[in-house]
Amino acid sequence: MKKKLALILFGLAATIALFGCSSNSSSGSGASGGEPVEGGDLNVAMTADPDTLDWMYSGESAARKIGWHIYEGLFALDKDYQARPLLADGYTVSEDKKTYTITLRDGLKFHNGQDVTAEDAKASIERWLKVSSVGKITTTHVDSIEATDDLTLVITLNDPYTALLTDLAAPKASAVIIPADIVEAAGEQPLTNEQLIGTGPFKFDSWKRGNEIVLSKFEEYQSREEEDWGGLTGKKTAYLDTIHFKIVKDPQVMLNGLKTDLYDYVQSIPLDLYDVVDTTPNVEPAISSNGYSVITPDKSEAPFDDIKVREALHAALDKEAIAKATYGNSEFYNLDGALFTPDQTALYSDQNIDDFEAYDQDEAKKLLEDSSYDGQPVKIIFSNDHAEYKKIAEIAEQQLEAAGFHVELESYEWATYLEKWSDGANWDMVVVGWSPFFSPNQAGMVSQDSNSSGWYNSERWQELVAQWGEAEDEAAQKEILAELNKTIYDELPFEKVSNLSTLDAHTSKLQDYEDWYGPRFWNTWKSQ
Amino acid sequence: MLNYTIRRLLSVIPVMLVVSIIVFLLVHLTPGNPAFIILGEDASPEAIAQLEEQLGLNEPLYIQFFDWLKQVITGDLGTSVYSAQPVTELIFANFGPTFSLMVLSLLFILIISIPIAILIVSLRKTILDPLFTNVSLLGVSVPEFWLAILLVLAFGVTFPVFPVAGYMPLADGFGAWLYHLLLPAFVLALVEIGIIARMLRDSMLDSVNQDYTKTARAKGVRERDVLMKHVFANALIPTTTVLGATVAGLLGGTVIIETLFTIPGIGQLLIDSIHRRDYPVIQGVVLFIAAIYVLVNLVVDLLYAFLDPRIRYD
Repeated sequence: MKKKLALILFGLAATIALFGCSSNSSSGSGASGGEPVEGGDLNVAMTADPDTLDWMYSGESAARKIGWHIYEGLFALDKDYQARPLLADGYTVSEDKKTYTITLRDGLKFHNGQDVTAEDAKASIERWLKVSSVGKITTTHVDSIEATDDLTLVITLNDPYTALLTDLAAPKASAVIIPADIVEAAGEQPLTNEQLIGTGPFKFDSWKRGNEIVLSKFEEYQSREEEDWGGLTGKKTAYLDTIHFKIVKDPQVMLNGLKTDLYDYVQSIPLDLYDVVDTTPNVEPAISSNGYSVITPDKSEAPFDDIKVREALHAALDKEAIAKATYGNSEFYNLDGALFTPDQTALYSDQNIDDFEAYDQDEAKKLLEDSSYDGQPVKIIFSNDHAEYKKIAEIAEQQLEAAGFHVELESYEWATYLEKWSDGANWDMVVVGWSPFFSPNQAGMVSQDSNSSGWYNSERWQELVAQWGEAEDEAAQKEILAELNKTIYDELPFEKVSNLSTLDAHTSKLQDYEDWYGPRFWNTWKSQ
Repeated sequence: MLNYTIRRLLSVIPVMLVVSIIVFLLVHLTPGNPAFIILGEDASPEAIAQLEEQLGLNEPLYIQFFDWLKQVITGDLGTSVYSAQPVTELIFANFGPTFSLMVLSLLFILIISIPIAILIVSLRKTILDPLFTNVSLLGVSVPEFWLAILLVLAFGVTFPVFPVAGYMPLADGFGAWLYHLLLPAFVLALVEIGIIARMLRDSMLDSVNQDYTKTARAKGVRERDVLMKHVFANALIPTTTVLGATVAGLLGGTVIIETLFTIPGIGQLLIDSIHRRDYPVIQGVVLFIAAIYVLVNLVVDLLYAFLDPRIRYD
């Protein structure tokens, strides 16, 4: 009996020793393993399945990350976030900049075998204008859409809105092209599983809700030829036979699955597990830009309806300290005050952002004393489903208390938070993160007179956004973007904390994989 | 017996009614509703109001309740707000993995705890008895999630004998089904093994020195037969009571185990539905679980009569 007990104890000790003995090796994302291999199944772990796979209807990130394998639009963003043709062959713009004549590429097929025609594009864009959050912004500028022949689409605008192509290329609630008969059948409701027909390199196969979504290679896919565009356009080759998007809620399960080849790619790993990912053999981190976190005050009522109080708030927040304590590794955040992130080269302006870091505790106290703030408690609400929002709120609370504010924190799970957020009576400030957006009129934290912007109402902002939509060229747009930056620091509608990145990880068997704004599994393949 | 069974089955109705009222109120009084979740953070107040109307959420609560109750009485648990699938269909699709997990766990519990208890009682005067008492206490005290993580690290990652997550339905082959369920079923069973083995051991020890066992020994019956035919048989009644509660407890335990092993069962369905505020699914699943509890208790009561011929219900 003693011998048996000793054996058990030895076994336990050996197991514990082995757990602590993982070897250390690391390599960057995008390793190349030579000649691409056709075939194979890719297993991707993601935390939740979307409400719908109708990427035109939904702005959800889960719908986007799967949707862009299935669907394509006339235009799409390249790796530098610039709009480029995708299903479109080319386009011309009339002199008054109000008529866009777009030619479709010849020989394109939908997943159900139908030819792609201008009538499909017309029906799809008309639906997009009604159901998409981006389309609803564009629709005010659109006068008519006509299919003049099988491959030609003419979009006539009410005004010279130069942001049309950017809107058509937006990867959020996207203007994707689906068959006209499906548009008619679906109307303004989300597409059903049977209606998930696109033109992308992978087609929809099956969906077991809460469990798995399966896509398979579309053999008749007609690719563009441009190899250097990247992003969502240019040359796309589907090497893999199938992609299985599996729903896995626990990040530790994801990592264990990655180590044991159960999964090939795992999404949304908590940032504090970066070192584990980085030191695990045959596992590579994939880091991509993920918008930024903000603290938004409710500007419709006291105390933050007073710009002086907002100035005190601005001076009271030490953003570097908040970002450092929240995100830890500097790989995942950067302090930058612009409306867009630096990787959005066409949209980013570094002008007028010097006031971003204005931390000065004494100045904050002085501003607060001179303001209308009467010492009433200010309530910060946040969703406790996101650990980083909690950290931001807690550190901000300390800094604001030090400046003379009286602060209360209230946290809710996501569903309750959304309801509380909708009513300004429930909060004075919210902490939330915004995923990337691709034109100033898509920026939720400054959307006029809405809860998401804390009821921001600014004629100056609206005027600048209108000017941006009509700007002659990129240089003119950059000037307006610089003015938008200035407006943020003059009017202080929100407090940007820092740009952030998201952490995914994949097996080193995944070859030629390129990090971008979310995972894309064309042009990548699995080595044996 | 038949009368008793019918009476018990009829008593399920008021229980289910009370459960349905409680779950309906809990679900609807919790802040957050499906309209906010479906439309997300960009939603305008108008769009939310429109969707609430579409979903019937703007009606007074009692009208919503009676509308739902009318449906339930006709056997229709409604339709998921999220997936538009009938709730009954969702429950049955997700109950397969949960049922598999429960059956396999119960099997583990029975085939491990009963022999252990008998062995301990037969060796009750050795060091094994106090050792068992302490080890089983440890088994009962260990949190399931912690044990699951350790076992996955040991037998899923370090020695990759079992998959770290996932589920294969029985239709895809018995081997694959068993392979995916062994580890989660064992984790789910472990705490209960400790409880049942201790319960059985204690009950058997109570009987081991009773007059009827002494008489049996005096008549020359072998100790093995005394233990199995007299002591074990009599200890089964209290153990069955605990086993009934265990089956119900397993259903609760699957919620954690299904999350840790990514098994698409009823627990996962419930948690996802709570996060999405999918009212019809939450209500349907809770009613279904309550019905199982009630039925398990009924089966346990009926088993008493089978195990002890002296018990008669009529």
